[in-house]
Amino acid sequence: MDAQPGARLVETVLRCYPARWRRRHGEEAAELAALLIQDGTPLGSIACSYLIGAAREWLTPRPGRRLRMVASALLAVACSLGIPAGLLASTAPARAASASQSRGHTHCQPGSHEPGPSVTPATDHFRVSIWQARHGRFC
Amino acid sequence: MAVTRRDGRAGQDVLRRVGEASVLILISLASGPKHGYALIQDIRGLADVELGPGTLYGALDRLERLGLIESLPAEDRRHPYRITAPGAAALRVHLDSLERVSAAGRLRLQLGGI
Repeated sequence: MDAQPGARLVETVLRCYPARWRRRHGEEAAELAALLIQDGTPLGSIACSYLIGAAREWLTPRPGRRLRMVASALLAVACSLGIPAGLLASTAPARAASASQSRGHTHCQPGSHEPGPSVTPATDHFRVSIWQARHGRFC
Repeated sequence: MAVTRRDGRAGQDVLRRVGEASVLILISLASGPKHGYALIQDIRGLADVELGPGTLYGALDRLERLGLIESLPAEDRRHPYRITAPGAAALRVHLDSLERVSAAGRLRLQLGGI
């Protein structure tokens, strides 16, 4: 009578194991749990034991998993380095552009009485671009 | 961990760090191949230890990876396990080590009059 909900609980807990483990031991583990329940072992202790086993199984380093972890770690490092590098790359031309703008904008607008863009290096790169676009000037 | 004996022979006590469950499984398998349920029952009778099924499969996997036991072809859905020659040798070394420590402990208790 109790076997049905017990079996369902055990099945649920066994799903916490990695697929490799389930392929290898899954059916046998379910049958063992059924036998232990018949013996009078509390369902809770069986489920708890399998849960702890599943956690241990995930945490135990394996050769293949270790390689995957190293690859993931490298990817994470590459991403975390890539974002600042990307930011640097986007700000470097901006700096160069703003520096050349502040130095050489007189060449672009000879005789212009309009006040040119007041540029502070790097930070006002976008403001310079907008100003140039509005005035149709591209140096 | 390498253990150097007093008689100069060096033995590799690989079971020193595998945990009690693994040692109990090896002791149980020393009398012949068994599957999971039989192992749990045998260990209950042998050492009065209730081995949880999760602990059992973790220990079986570890011992199999170390080459100390091997899985036999499945009977129904059960996989019997058998102790290998290196497993038997490792168990012998470990039991010898335990015996020495046990003897030393008993002697000290005797000498201490406790």
